[in-house]
Amino acid sequence: MSEAEKAGVEIVAVSPDPNERSHEMAQRLRLGYRFVADPDLAVTRRYGLVHARGGQQGEDVPRPTTVVLDRDGVVRWLWVSDNFQVRPDPNDVLRAVRAL
Amino acid sequence: MKPGWLTALSMVLCGTAIAVYALLLRVPAIRNHPEGYVAVFAIAATIAGLAVALGRRWYAWAALALALVLFAGGAAFNFVLARIPDAQTNLRLGERPPDFTLPDAGGRPVSLADYRGTKPVVLVFYRGYW
Repeated sequence: MSEAEKAGVEIVAVSPDPNERSHEMAQRLRLGYRFVADPDLAVTRRYGLVHARGGQQGEDVPRPTTVVLDRDGVVRWLWVSDNFQVRPDPNDVLRAVRAL
Repeated sequence: MKPGWLTALSMVLCGTAIAVYALLLRVPAIRNHPEGYVAVFAIAATIAGLAVALGRRWYAWAALALALVLFAGGAAFNFVLARIPDAQTNLRLGERPPDFTLPDAGGRPVSLADYRGTKPVVLVFYRGYW
């Protein structure tokens, strides 16, 4: 059982990746993720989370972002990257979930 | 100190910085401080510079050149290339973000609204394979 399952939370991961590849990756890494595909970045753009021309071929890519939503769907914790090498500390995310 | 020792120390520092960052990428304290490798390359370049000053040996010059290349490359990557310019997001603490419906791996639609009243959600946006 993953930490996320123990904490009773659903992880929804949005990326422009084709679903099959994300699904394969989730199974390989045994992650309890729900991967959803946003191939044209429509949702990512609506959220204001596009890093314009940030991709390897100069294409638009998502800005790495992690959001904790409570049971009412309200944002309780928010982490938006300003450097694509950096990711939130999973312990900080778990702490935010447990604090709900 | 002999230039040979300083040269070796400079190279060991460069190698260690690269190895630690690459091997411990999963450790948040390492991953989230990429400026660390830039700082170590700067120290390595300084030490190699000292080695050159003490005895103008070819290997000291080579170490200095390598450390400077790593420092310049690392700094350009971390402070320029990897930088994501500030932009207004539509996410606010205490507010509900816009709902969406997107297909999951099995083609089933997933909406944020599905979880409302049942489960907290960690919503992650990521760049995908790269």
